[in-house]
Amino acid sequence: MVMPAPVYLPRAELGRLFGALAADGRTVVGPTVADGAVIYDRLESPGDLPHGWTAETAPGRYRLDATSGARAFDYGIAVTAWKRSTHPSLVPLTRARRDGELVTVAPVHEPPPRLAFVGVRACELAALRIQERAMRAGPAGDPDHVARRDAALVVAVECARAMSTCFCTSMAAGPEVTDGADLILSELDEGFVVRVGSAPGGAVVEPLALRPATQAETERAAAQVAGVRAAIGDPVPAEGLPERLRAALDHPRWAEVAERCLACANCTLVCPTCFCTSVAVASDLDGVEATTERQWDSCFSLGFGRVAGDANFRPKVADRYRQWLTHKFSTWWDQFGSSGCVGCGRCIAWCPVGIDVREELTAIAPVTAPAGPIPWPLSPETGRAPAALATLDPARHVVATVRSTEPETADTVTLELVTSDEGLLAARPGQFVMVELPAFAAPPISVSRIRADGLDLTIRAAGAATAALAGLGAGSQVALRGPLGRAWPVDTARGRDVVIVAGGIGLAPLRPLIESVLADRSRFGAVRLYLGARTPRDRLFVAEMNALAGRADLEVAEIVDRAGPEWLGRVGIVTQLFDQATWDGSRVTAFVCGPERMMQAAAATLARLGVDPAATWLTLERNMACGVGTCGHCQLGPFFVCRDGPVFSVLELGSAFGREGL
Amino acid sequence: MDRSSLTALLGETWFGGRLGAGTRARLAALGQVVDIPEGAVVVQEGMPCLALGVVISGRIALRLALPGGQDRTILTVDAGDVYGWSAVLPPAISTSTGIAVTPSRAILFDGNDLRSALAIDCELAAAVYQRLLETVVRRLTATRMQLLDLYRPASDPW
Repeated sequence: MVMPAPVYLPRAELGRLFGALAADGRTVVGPTVADGAVIYDRLESPGDLPHGWTAETAPGRYRLDATSGARAFDYGIAVTAWKRSTHPSLVPLTRARRDGELVTVAPVHEPPPRLAFVGVRACELAALRIQERAMRAGPAGDPDHVARRDAALVVAVECARAMSTCFCTSMAAGPEVTDGADLILSELDEGFVVRVGSAPGGAVVEPLALRPATQAETERAAAQVAGVRAAIGDPVPAEGLPERLRAALDHPRWAEVAERCLACANCTLVCPTCFCTSVAVASDLDGVEATTERQWDSCFSLGFGRVAGDANFRPKVADRYRQWLTHKFSTWWDQFGSSGCVGCGRCIAWCPVGIDVREELTAIAPVTAPAGPIPWPLSPETGRAPAALATLDPARHVVATVRSTEPETADTVTLELVTSDEGLLAARPGQFVMVELPAFAAPPISVSRIRADGLDLTIRAAGAATAALAGLGAGSQVALRGPLGRAWPVDTARGRDVVIVAGGIGLAPLRPLIESVLADRSRFGAVRLYLGARTPRDRLFVAEMNALAGRADLEVAEIVDRAGPEWLGRVGIVTQLFDQATWDGSRVTAFVCGPERMMQAAAATLARLGVDPAATWLTLERNMACGVGTCGHCQLGPFFVCRDGPVFSVLELGSAFGREGL
Repeated sequence: MDRSSLTALLGETWFGGRLGAGTRARLAALGQVVDIPEGAVVVQEGMPCLALGVVISGRIALRLALPGGQDRTILTVDAGDVYGWSAVLPPAISTSTGIAVTPSRAILFDGNDLRSALAIDCELAAAVYQRLLETVVRRLTATRMQLLDLYRPASDPW
């Protein structure tokens, strides 16, 4: 649309704009003074705006100061970010009920409030766009975010004052407002130059019948924001920053900054783009009724990267600081095609120990940094499409019924589930489902068999949720979300020899692959299956594997880590089954699943045998909480393991595979 | 079995396959093929290790005794691999008990003869020690992985 020429709104008539927004059915949210700071809150009238206030910011410092003027938007940047309205800290997801064996899980979709955001800065507009890429245009749209964003009208106000912590210029996020707002205001002493940015914005101001802004007024507005740009300068040269950062993963500065960092998560909470969440489960005492709520979380939380068995992929503060910084400024490009930082400076001002991200970036990834090896070179196709699109709504579940259970080991059970859901029945080998029982957090479980009328899930009782699942009997119900994740690329192995290496319960996600290969046996060359387990009693699918060992068109070897004298099979680690092999590795496509350390050993042995890292596939374990790449828990370098994996080739993972602290 | 057949047999194993032809022949000259019945003890933990064996077929379980009489198998040696490496390293005392868990066949090298040959034949020594070192490294690596107990059941994650 062709936007009308700028108009002029006298300060005394600002109330008319508020009235027009109210007439549009909107609640106005904007800056106001509370508790010694400017925050975003509901505004009843222009009188609630922070007239005559500005703020002084510095690393670890924020102070309100009175000004001699009466401007309403001279405060720099508010403490709170707009994500409180578009991505609230608490969002109800489901209400679930368990009546005996029967389970119901109903999504909770609350209609979004119809808001007008008044006072949105250029950097904050950029932040809204960035969050939208993750939540709307991302691989799995978040319906709550989309609804809230669509229901909001954005009234931007260009900055007229630079704060000492601002660096939007370096992040190409401001200070000029160029697009993305419905209305754009530039505040002058006596009023506002108003530009229309969208048809809805035009519809709001058109009834006000404002006079055109004069050339002098528009020039003063432009000069103000030009002055802000000049004052900020370019404190963090961004050219090449993603590559410089990822080449510095082993920089000693990570440990140094971790000495000061409290891991308090303030930086991620005030950040306008951080979107990581966890799901909290609340239930009544007997576990019959339960609700799930999505709540903000932070990659600085100790348990953020924790997985089954209490393993924690980022146990040290240095790991978590590196994750945050490299994600913001580097791997965000891979995931969403932009920087994850807009240079608003909140993380600097609100860090209780005054860590200045600009200073850390300059120290860790200086422009003069020597070019080192760059793990995961930035793809020209940044913000790539998801490897697998599945159930997008994180609140949508399908109830499936347990037809039978099969004890596999002392702590592992296979549930045979019946469902008629076409989505679930379209599962492919290597994919997983989130499995929910009311009152328990939903664990991700790999599909261990795909049948015409259902799925098998093989579950090790490793915690409360998995123990409850493993204890289910025939007729019980569970709620499933999926299938999720990237499948084993079975087709890439056609015409080639196949090597399958399984360790422990890692055989479960490989079983559908084995069955897929055997169902189309003539299209593959030699097929070799190497199975490892802790003890003879810990072997999975024993009868099936024994049957496979009897086939002439398949080589099966198994080994256990430890055994008593009654065991006459092999004892040692799984790589000993093939590390002296004489087969031609160049003809092999390999599929590996087991504990990560075991997979590292298997991948190294396969590489020595000549197997191409691009043809060596494995499936990773990470904390996969949402399953669709929106909660952030399972990040590994540029990847969301749940979305981009869990199946990866060794080549794709590069140095991320097995690297401590990622 | 004549010498050339034994040399060829040794060449088919992982241990002997990458030895040079001359070295392999000189090593084979020291060996003899033996058949080992199921259940036979080929080396005894804590006792003199009299011979190095290269398994041709079958399986040897290497076991450690635990107090109370329950043995634990810590490794199995299959075709191509060796047992009794202690025979070449004074004081030549076995570090585990080796039991044939299936009828097996091996090429045996008398410890005294082998040590004497390695002492005077540097080329042979370099080749054999290299192979033995690879064997021990492989077992050390495996032992480290086993120590990690990677498949141990998890505790309270969810």
